[in-house]
This record gives sequence, C-alpha cells and structure tokens, in this order.
Amino acid sequence: MTKVNLHAFLPLKTQWFHIMLSLAGEEQHGYGIMQEVLERTTGKVHLWPATLYGSIKRMIEADLIEESNARPAPELDDARRRYYRLTRLGRRVLDAECERLQELVRTIQVKRGLVTE
Amino acid sequence: MSVAWRIYRGLAEAFPHEFKMAYGDQMIEAGEKAMRRLAKQHGAAGLVRLTADIAVRLPVEHLSEMRRDLRYAARALARSPAYAVVGIASIGLGIGLTTNVYTSSWVLFTRTLPGVTRPNRLVTAETLASYPYIERYREQKDLVAGVAAVENGVEFNVALPGQSGQPDRVYGQLVSPDYFTVLGMEPQRGRLLSADLDKTGDTPAVVISDRYWRSHFNANPDVVGQTIRLNEQPAIVVGVTPSKFDGALTPNPAELFVPLTVPVAMAPELGDDVLHNRNLKAFQFIMRLAPGVTIESAESALDGITRRLDKDDPLAPPQADKARRVVLMGAGTRVQIPRDLRPKVLGFFTALMVIVTAIACLNLATMALARGTGRRKELAIRLGVGASRFRLIRQMLTEGVLLSLLGGATGLALTDVLAAITAHTPLPAGSPLNPDRSVDWHTVLFALTLAVICGIGFSLLPALQATRIAVAPAIKEGSAVALSGHRRFGLRNVAMGAQVAGSLLLLLVTGFLILGIVKSNSIETNFNPKTMAFLFVDPARDGYSPEKSQAFFERLPDHLRSSPGVNGFALATQPPFLPGDDEDFQLTVDDPHAAAPVQKGVVKRTVGAGFFAVPNEPILAGREFDEHHQHLNIDAVSVEKDRGMRSPTTLPVVLNQKAAHALFASGNAVGKRLRGDRRTWEVIGIVPDMKDASGMTQGIAYLPLSPHDFAQPPAGGITIIVRGRSAEEGLSDVRRVVASMDPNLTLFNVQTLSEYLERIRAAMRAALRNFGGIGLFGLALSTVGLAGVTGYAVAQRRKEIGIRMALGARRSQVLGLVLREGMILIGVGTVLGFLGAVALARALSALTSEFADAFKVGTDDPRLLLGAPLLLAGLALVACYLPARKAVRIDPLKTLRQE
Repeated sequence: MTKVNLHAFLPLKTQWFHIMLSLAGEEQHGYGIMQEVLERTTGKVHLWPATLYGSIKRMIEADLIEESNARPAPELDDARRRYYRLTRLGRRVLDAECERLQELVRTIQVKRGLVTE
Repeated sequence: MSVAWRIYRGLAEAFPHEFKMAYGDQMIEAGEKAMRRLAKQHGAAGLVRLTADIAVRLPVEHLSEMRRDLRYAARALARSPAYAVVGIASIGLGIGLTTNVYTSSWVLFTRTLPGVTRPNRLVTAETLASYPYIERYREQKDLVAGVAAVENGVEFNVALPGQSGQPDRVYGQLVSPDYFTVLGMEPQRGRLLSADLDKTGDTPAVVISDRYWRSHFNANPDVVGQTIRLNEQPAIVVGVTPSKFDGALTPNPAELFVPLTVPVAMAPELGDDVLHNRNLKAFQFIMRLAPGVTIESAESALDGITRRLDKDDPLAPPQADKARRVVLMGAGTRVQIPRDLRPKVLGFFTALMVIVTAIACLNLATMALARGTGRRKELAIRLGVGASRFRLIRQMLTEGVLLSLLGGATGLALTDVLAAITAHTPLPAGSPLNPDRSVDWHTVLFALTLAVICGIGFSLLPALQATRIAVAPAIKEGSAVALSGHRRFGLRNVAMGAQVAGSLLLLLVTGFLILGIVKSNSIETNFNPKTMAFLFVDPARDGYSPEKSQAFFERLPDHLRSSPGVNGFALATQPPFLPGDDEDFQLTVDDPHAAAPVQKGVVKRTVGAGFFAVPNEPILAGREFDEHHQHLNIDAVSVEKDRGMRSPTTLPVVLNQKAAHALFASGNAVGKRLRGDRRTWEVIGIVPDMKDASGMTQGIAYLPLSPHDFAQPPAGGITIIVRGRSAEEGLSDVRRVVASMDPNLTLFNVQTLSEYLERIRAAMRAALRNFGGIGLFGLALSTVGLAGVTGYAVAQRRKEIGIRMALGARRSQVLGLVLREGMILIGVGTVLGFLGAVALARALSALTSEFADAFKVGTDDPRLLLGAPLLLAGLALVACYLPARKAVRIDPLKTLRQE
C-alpha cells in the first residue's frame, strides 16, 4: 500500500469530521448520518441534504469512506438508501484528527489553568 | 410547504447526471424527511435554509464536473497531438484574422469615443460648413444642445519649454471653445476649453491629448500652466484630455486642441477672415441633439435653415437642387459613416468575419467528425458502462471549447503581431500618425467569446452524430461501423461542400480586391523617380507676415534657377499623386452649346509654373502655366469687386482629360470659357489624367498659384517639387537656397519621390497582406479539411476496401472509388463558391465606387477567374489523393483479421 500523508487531510472540514464520527461506530445511510449528527450535537450541527451528499461524494473520491454492501433486515430497509462505512484510510485519518483535537484541548486546559491561577 | 418542496425537487433534478445517478434518490428522500421536521420545528425559516443549501450546492457540483471534463479533455487532446496542433492552428488563424478585421475596421465604426457623455446623441454633417452658418445652427435651441466647429488635421510647429533646435510638427484640431462642453467631457488634469474663459483676446490656451501628455511631458502632473510655443507664439497648457481621447471627427489622433479664438499668427488657418466669411466652408461641426430630437428631424430642420441662409446670400448662384444641403450622420464613433452606408459597411465586415470564422469551424467540424468515428469504440464502451449521452456530448463540447480557447489565445497573439506590423507601416504623406490599435480587453473579450462560440459551433453536430450509435455493434466492430446514410447528404458531405465553396468564395473575393488594388496603385511615371523629390515650407507658421511670405515665394524661383543642382522645379499646394479632398469645384460652361449634356463634378488643384514639365507629363493641347500666371491677382478678378457691371478679366485654367470630357461636349476645350467661384476662367491647356496614390483618376481643374496663396499658404504649406541629377542633390540644393534666404525657415515632410512611392506601395502591401492573408487562410484550411475528411471516409471504408481487394479489385479501381466521391464534392463546392463570389462582388460593387473599381479590374482578369478554382480544386484533389493512396496500400488480410 502506498504511504498516504494523513496530515494532508488535517484539519478535517467540520462536516467531514461529523460524518466520519457518525460512521465510526456503524455503517449508516445518508439520512441516518444527518439524524445522528443532529442528535449528538443537540441540534447545533445541521448537515443539510445537498451539502451532506456533496461531502459524501468527495469523501468517497478521497477514499475516506466507501459504500457498503451489507444491508439491514428487509423490514427496516428502503431500496433507495445506500450505506456507507469508513475505509482503513478514513479510520486512520479520523484517529489523527481526534488526536489533534485532544492535543488542542490539553493545550487549552493548561493555558486556562495558567490564566485562572 | 408544497411550493418549497417543488423548488427543492426542481433543483435536485438540475444536478449533474452523474451526481443524480449516485445520490439523487437519497437526496430527495432526505430532503422530504428533513422538510417535514423543519417545517414543524422552524417554520418558513427552516424551509428557506433547506432550499438555500441545495441552491448553493447546485453550481458547485456543476463546476466540479466541468473541471473533471476539462482534465479529461486536456488528456484526450494530448493523446492526439496532430489533431490538437492542426486544430489550434486553424482556429487560431481564423480567430486571429477575424479579430484583426474587428480591431482594424469594426471598432473604428462602432466603438464610441472615450470620455464622451452620451456619444449617441452627437451628430455631424457629411460636408463642411462656414463658421457663420455654424453660429446660426447653434442658435436653434429647440434643436440642439450645442454645436462646436472643428478644423481637423491642423499642423503646428511646437516648441516645448526648454526645447532648442527645430520645433516638432504636431497635428491638432482647431476648435470652437465650446468643443469639450458639447462632448460633455471632464478634464484629466487642469481644465478644458470653455466659451467663458477662452474669448478672443484672452491669453491663448491649449489643451493637450492624454497621449501627447504621456509621450512628450512624461505624464508630468505639473504640465498645467506651462507655456509652449505654437508656430512661434506662446500658449499656455491649461489641461489634459481624459485618457485615450484624441479628438472627435477624425480617425487620426489629434495631439493639441487649440481654440479658434487665438490670433491668426498662431493659426494661419484663421486667416481670410474665415470666422466671418459665410462663403468659406472651412469647418466640420459636431452637434449634440436636444433631448427628444431625432437625427432625421434635425437634418430636415437644418436643411431648411441652410436653404434660407443660401438664399439670403446675394453673391451665391441660384440653386434649384432638391437634394439635402445638410446630411447628418452619427459622430460618437472614431470613424463616421453616412447613415445610408452604415448597414452596408457593417454588413460587409460582418460577412467577412462570419465567413472566415465559419470556414475555420467547418474545417474543425469535419476533423471532429473524422475523430468521432475513430473514437466510436471508446464512446460505445462509455455508453455501455452507464455514461449518459448528454455526458458524452458535454465531454466532446468541452474538448472543442478547450481546443478553441487555445486557438483563441494563438489568434490573439497573431492579432497582436498584425497590429504591430500595421503600426510600423509608414503611411503616405499627408496622413498623420497611426492611431493606436494595440490589443485591449475589448479585443481579448471578443476573441475569447468567438473562441467559445467556435468551440461549441464546430463540436456540437459531430458530438451529436458520434454519440448516436448502437452500443453493441460499435463495440464489436470498432471504428469501422458505417453511419447510416453517410453517402449522400450526410453532415460530412454538406460540411465539406460548404467548406470548398466558402474557401473559393474567400479566395476569389480577396483576389478581386488584391488585383484591383495592385492595378490601381501602379503609378506610372514618365521620369526616373530617383531624380525627383519634394519638400514643404510654410512661412506663415514660422512667424512670417503675409507680405514677407509673399516676397519670399516671389524671390524663390530666381534663386532656384541659379542653383546648379536643380534641373527643374515647380511650386504647388500639394505634391503630385497625393489624393486630394473630394469637395467638388463648381464650374459651369459659359457657352451652353459646347457643354457636355451631363455636367460632372471636378476637383481643383492649385499648381505653379512647370508642374507638368518637371515630371515630364506631356501637354496634350495648349500650354501649362508659366510664371506670369503666378503673378495674377485672383482676388482682383473677383466678381465681388465689380458686381458684374464690367466683364471681368478671365483667369487661366488647365484641365485634365477627364475634366475636359466631364465639362465639354467635345474634347477640344482650349480657349473655351468656364464660370465658377464667382470668376470666369479660360481653358489654356489639356493634360493627361494622372492616377493618384489611392488609385483614382479624378476630373481635375488645375488653377494657378496666386500671390494670395503665397501670402497665406493653405494648411500644409507650399510644396517645392524639384528635379536634379539625383533626388538627393536636388534636395540639398533646395535646402541651401532656402537657408541662404532665411536660415530659420522650417523645411518639413522632405522626401524623395522614390521614398514617397515606396510609402504608397507600403500601404498597398498592407492591404495585400490583410486580404491576401485571408485568401490564403481559406486555401490552407480547406486543403487540411479535405485531407481530414477523405481520411475519415477511408477509415470508414477500410473493411469494404479490404474485402474488395481480397476479391481481386485493382488498386486503380479502389483509388478511383475513393477519389470519385471527393471529386463530386469538390465540383459542387467549386460551382457554388464561384457563383457566390460573383454575387458577392456584384453586391459589394453596388456599395461604393472604390469596391466597384477594384472588382471591375479583378473580375475581368482570366488569371484569377480560372486560376483560383483550378488551384483550389488541384489542392483539394491532392488532399483527397493522399489518404486514398494510403487506403489502397491496406493489406486486405490484415484489415479483415483486425475486424
């Protein structure tokens, strides 16, 4: 496998980050991602449909996510839906981004400690 | 909510095909669900936000597809470099030549003057007017918002502050002080002229053009207030015109704008009491129409005023003409065209541009058709794996537009080169500086728009045709599958026939023009041009008083005669062969029985003794002027002085043959009398017609130079024509003679006749280059196109040819088969092109007499009439033969195995 520079993807765009975070646990279809993000952020981040699918298209092109062939039980399924999951690269990029954010949070905590003291 | 949903669905439908294939359904599902929830939670605001999101993403997705198409197109072009190079070259040539026509002709007629307010409200007359008439026009407040008088091409000897040595000769306009007010113009620096500040007697003010400010003052911001010397008189620079403005009513740039309130010493044009003499039609005028007034109503009102004014003049001969005495035309552009001619002139240039562009497009279209065939397999596979036909067409259009844009850039470079060549072509004497015609953003926009139109134009039909394929057989049989109905009236045959016809049309029409220009410009001389030269002297502009100036010219002949290097000399108001003004000189034959049944107009030239002897022109009858005639005081012989009580003394006049035929029934006119200019004239001699540099022979009445001309030389001064052992020797003697009389007198426009003729030929060569380039372009393109098309036909029939040859067909038979089709097309195209060219030549001849003359010469020339079609057909045959020869070299086994 060719070595991909993970850092070229960082920092991730907000929508991309939330989409990838949604897919971190399980495979999801587009509307499911939209719902999950809305609930997780208590309505603060709203992924609008056109933006969502535009992002999905570009993330597939960038090989961060891919379409999954697995489908849920027929009674829960909708034929129009497609399911997406993280690729290996996507997972590594998400890890790197989380790492970066945690680093950021640690820095902020140290600095805040200095300020409040 | 149903409205919002309909908008959402509509926008979702408008997404690129590929996007819709992958995500369309899901996006609609997600939108539907989100919409219900949003309407409940956020009401209208939520719906707006949802619709805004999809509206913003729509162009983004299209752009992203376009980028992809472009990348693909670039790769496709890189894969077939021969096609790309030929395509870029031909579209580049087409766009370059079209853009050149646009910049050198079209914009002069259409682009409005820079810095002028509402230029479409400005009008001017086709003829000159006298200043008192212009003042009367100005009083018509309900008709005009302002009228300014303009005298164009006025030369000034200019000395800048701190300049030593000979002053420069600079062209300017002599204008009434309200000139800039009429134009509605704001200064770039300082102030412009105004009727309040620039009255007679005020310190002479001058406005300089932006161009002159940059070239001669280095764009110095402190130029305002500086004193420069115009014709030895001090004048203050009061302002600079707006950027790019260099004069209205003139194709040639004016550098100075001098109010006509300055003293006569600064502008000798103002002599003769020209501002009060109602009979001296010395000025053009530019007029701003009052609000709501149309050009037609202004014209008829001014015509009425002019008729009343003419009638009031006791000295004017009664006129019973019905024609308009004032004919107005728009004045807001660089070059003015009479209203009735405007659609025709613009039509001609449009036709020229369209034909050149269409030929380039047709050429590319035939090549693209051929290429489409070669790519059938690729296209079929892409269709097979789910690409939409629309997608493929868009892809091919993108390729076409990319190619065309690259061609457009090449064309712009070509235009720039052509503009540079034009700018460096010297013009014949008498025409001031070349106007600046370098490439600007208008031109770039024009060329690129043209490129996009061409790109779509030449690739749309081939793309439609190439993608109209049945997938399975195309994949199976590859590129050799036959298109249905390609044999008779297929797109390809029509395109090819049209291309041959268009190319021949272009070749013939430009050929007609070239032959006409060459023939009419070949000036024949009865002497060795290397022995003749001329130069100008204008004492009034060197500060001479009329008396001093007259004395100078009266003494000059004696000095020249005693000079050893001068074999012959003559004075005149202009050098030989120079095209003159076209103002008719009104002459009527005294004896009505001797008059020609239809009196045609003649023009006048003022010449001195020896004007015909110096260039060895024969005198056909009678004699020419001698020095005695130069002393006749024309003014003393005016009817004005003696009110027709006594028979006025007659003045001598020499006619050329054309003028003699125009005025008299018989050619023998010597001794006959004429009336005109309120005087009586007696014909003393007949001379041959001499062609002028524009190739015209006019009827000319030669009048003698008079003491009045010497005292107040006309604009441009008096020319001294000299013949010596060599031109240089003659010139140096004249210089010595003039310097011995007054070392400070400026000699200008000094040139040998060879140089002068060379310049005329340079102008001719420029015309040849322009038209010849267009003709050759047509030839080259149609040859390339035909070769491409035949190659395409052969490629289509490889299998057929292979089978024929396998069954024993001879090479010559196959060759004949392939060539026959091409020959029929060439034949049809040639006939159509020939008929089209003759029709176009007829139509253009009807436009102007210049075209008519040129075409008459050209259409009479069998070399062109036979040669051009033969040349084109010959080249076309070669273009067909080469691919055909390649076809018969096909190894039948190899071809059949490949399939």
